[in-house]
Formats: sequence, C-alpha cells, structure tokens
Amino acid sequence: MSDLALRSRDLRKVYASKSANPVTALAGVSLEVQRGERVALLGRNGAGKTTFLRIASTLLRPTSGSIQVFDVEVDRHPDKVRPYIAVVPQEGKPFFHLTPREQVYTYLRARGLTRETAKARTEGSLERMGLTEFADRLSITLSGGQRQRAMVATVIATEAPLLFLDEPTIGLDPFARRAVWDSLRDLTRRGSTIVLTTHYLDEADALSQRLYIIERGHVLVSGTAEELKRSVGGTLKVFLPQGAPSVDRFRGFGSCVTDGEGLTVIVAPERLSELMTGALGLGLTATVGPVTLEEAFLNVVGRSIDED
Amino acid sequence: MATSMVVQGVLLVFVWILNPGLIGVALLGAVLFSMFTMGQRVLNEAAYIRIDHKVNELYLASPLTAEGYFLGMSAGVLLVYLPPVVIVGALAAVVVHLSVAEVGLLLALAAAVWLSAASIGYVFSTAFRDMRAIWAYSSLFFNVFGVLPPVFYPLDLFPTALRPIVLLMPPSAAAAILQSAIGAAHPTHGELLLAAVGLVVEAIGLFAFAVYWARRTARER
Repeated sequence: MSDLALRSRDLRKVYASKSANPVTALAGVSLEVQRGERVALLGRNGAGKTTFLRIASTLLRPTSGSIQVFDVEVDRHPDKVRPYIAVVPQEGKPFFHLTPREQVYTYLRARGLTRETAKARTEGSLERMGLTEFADRLSITLSGGQRQRAMVATVIATEAPLLFLDEPTIGLDPFARRAVWDSLRDLTRRGSTIVLTTHYLDEADALSQRLYIIERGHVLVSGTAEELKRSVGGTLKVFLPQGAPSVDRFRGFGSCVTDGEGLTVIVAPERLSELMTGALGLGLTATVGPVTLEEAFLNVVGRSIDED
Repeated sequence: MATSMVVQGVLLVFVWILNPGLIGVALLGAVLFSMFTMGQRVLNEAAYIRIDHKVNELYLASPLTAEGYFLGMSAGVLLVYLPPVVIVGALAAVVVHLSVAEVGLLLALAAAVWLSAASIGYVFSTAFRDMRAIWAYSSLFFNVFGVLPPVFYPLDLFPTALRPIVLLMPPSAAAAILQSAIGAAHPTHGELLLAAVGLVVEAIGLFAFAVYWARRTARER
C-alpha cells in the first residue's frame, strides 16, 4: 500500500444550477495526506471542506482535477477505493429503530466482515465511544450527542485504512469530544489515516498533526498548528476591548486585527511591556494570552471562522 | 406492520358486505396489492434514510455495492412487512381452495409484483429533495394504481376497451393471471399473453433499470 493515503491535484467542483448561477465549491485544491496522519481541513461554513470530503469518499464527482486514494483514482475506480475508506457524513444520524449495537454490527456485516470480527469490533467501538450503557437502547431514544457518538462508533469500528469524518464532534459535550479525539488518535497509532473537517479551532489544534485552512474553495495554507501559530509573528496576543480607534498606535508592535470596538495585537514577549505601557497610557484595559489558532486563522483568512 | 394492512382490510370488509362471493378474489388481490405497496415503503424508507439520516452515505462509501444497498433495503422492507401478507395469503389459499400449482403461481406473481414495485420505489425515491411531499405522493401513486384497476375485483367487471391499460400495470396484470387460473375471470388469450409478457418484461426491465439507477445515483454529479 502506498505511503500516500490521499492526494488531490487541482481539484475543482462547480455546482451547476438551472435556476441560479453556478457555484464554485472547490477552485483547484491540491493536498496530500500521508498514511497514518491525522489531518484536519479547517474552514468556515461553505469553504468547500465537505465538498472535498464527499469527492474523496466517492460520493460526489469532481468537475475537473484528480484525486487518488492509495494511488487509486477515485473518480475512475470508486469501487476499488471503497474497501479502503469509511465516512462519517455531516449531520448523519443512526437508524432510529436500531440500537447502537445493531447499527454498528449491521454496518460491519454489510462491509463484509465475519460475524466474529464484527461482534468483537462492535463491542470495542461502543466501549471506546462510551456507549456501552446505551448500546441496547433504540437510537430514537438517545440524545443528539449519543447519536453522533453512535455514528462515529460505526465508522471507527471498520478500522478502515482511511477514515473521513465530516464535523465528527458537532453537538458533543467536552467529555464526548475528548473520547472521540482519543479514539482517533488510537486509530492512527494503529495505522489508520484520518481526514476530518472541522470549524472548531481547538479541535484542529488538539487533534490534527497537520491542517489545511480552506477558504472559498482554495487551500490558503497548510502546516502544523504550531507552524501556523508561529506564522502570526508573535507568541502572545493582547486584546484591547476599546482599542480599535487607536489601531494605528499599535501597528508597530505586530499584526493588528480589529473586531468592532476591539483590537487584537500579536506581539513578541520582549515587547509586551512596552505595548502595555502604551495601552495604559491611553486609558485602555488589556488582556494577555498565548496566540491560538484563532489568531492564525484570522491572520490567514482575514476574518473569524464564525463569520458568515 | 399491522397498519400496512389498513387499506386492504377496509376493502376486504366492503367486498364481504357488498358481495361475499368475491371475497376469494379480493383476498388474492390483497396479497398482490400488499406486494405492490412494498414499493411505497421502499420509496419512503430510501428517501428518509438519504434525506433525513444521510446514512446512505455510510453504505455507499463502503465495499457494499450500490445495487447491494438497493436490494438489501428492499429485502429488509419485505421482511418487515411480509408476516401479515403471509397470513392473508394463507387465508386466501383456504378460502379459494388453491392447488399447489396455484399457490406456486401466486408466489411467482407476488415476487414479480414486488420486484417491479421495489424498483419503482427506489428509483422514485432519488427524485425527492425534501421529505414534505414524499408521504402524500407515494401513498397516492401506489394506492391509486393498486386499488382502481381490477385487483380486488374480477377483470370481467372492467371495461374491455380499457383492459390493455390495466393489463400493463403489475398488480392488475398479476391479478388477471391469477383470476384466470382460478376461473374467477375470463380474459382472452391475447389479454392473458399481454398480462404475462408485460409483467415479466416490467419486472425484469424495471429491476435492471433500478440497478443501473442505483449505481448512477450512488455518486452525485
């Protein structure tokens, strides 16, 4: 099996419509994912993450460009790709009239696993997702978070070489999110490759070994979370809640981003004291913290990940 | 499961009250109608899973083939809704005194109707983009084409000029063949041939098209 789990070259997708103008969802996405990596596609809603994932997982045909999974052309040979992949669809829900145990087991059997293997993997997966207690309850009676965990459990039980997860922790509480993260880390330790989309910056930071920031169908930047944070130009951020009108006074300290009345300044530690003195001199209050992916995202995209 | 027999049950009661002599024909019709409405259930289920649950993506992006998904879902629906149909079928066999050969014919015709209906249901399910219209339209389609033609009543009561139309519909074609076999209707050789050939061609043709369509729609464009 190739060391390259996924590779796309100039991948484009244009949604044609009879009643409206065509929408370009992907405008030439090129990226690579090594076998055993956990990679996050980070972007705002509508950035093209889900479209990319649907093309990679054989569910959608690209308009042009190429994409390969373990060196197999996805568009030309989807049947050869499918045994290698499993996908958690965005906002997917388990069958309401199946229990999580039945849902996982049935899916594994449909993928061709033997009864024994399917049974063992079902139990393991339910346990990892903290679903053992609810394993025999109909999915319709489960909470939204439990249903989402059942979907993730269904897919991680496959132990497929390449897993696609589209917003896998949406709607989960912090405990459940960590359970999902731990399971995904465990899977990559055992050789699986994970490609997930998310618009949770903390998730991309905590979980991905590498990430791609996607905006309007383009890959803007890729690297590790640390590399992206370093690219901002400092390791500290100073937030001045009423600082926006005075932005010109702070431009010399590092990159400045205004958000309404507020101003965020990225600054190197050795210049923090000078900046704080200037801020206090203007009668401004300030809070100081480490640079996070949020600033890196703002720096790269030019707007917040939550902004429509 | 029991609610799936409401229409058949109501019609059987009406036939029992209005003309008890036709109850055998109506019971056989209820079996064929039930197999036809399996298509409605496949349509509802396939659309619901795709639009509301999106679990179809789980299966379509897996080693399971698209036709395997279609057949698996159709067979699952059949298994769930079959028990009351078997009971009605057994009742019909007793009331009409079906021979072994006639039971075999009933099974073959029921299978052909199911294959046609499941294929129609799956193909139509892919046309819907939201759930609002599905329940009403699917119910209307399958009930109208399963109740108005001579399925619950003998073909002889249906206008001769319009028979070629109903003999090209799977449930009424199957009913005409069965009614002819038990002597409850007297179609001409031409009508019988039309019903038999039409049913076989439709079952095979619709199934082949559904398999093609399942493969085609497994990947959006």
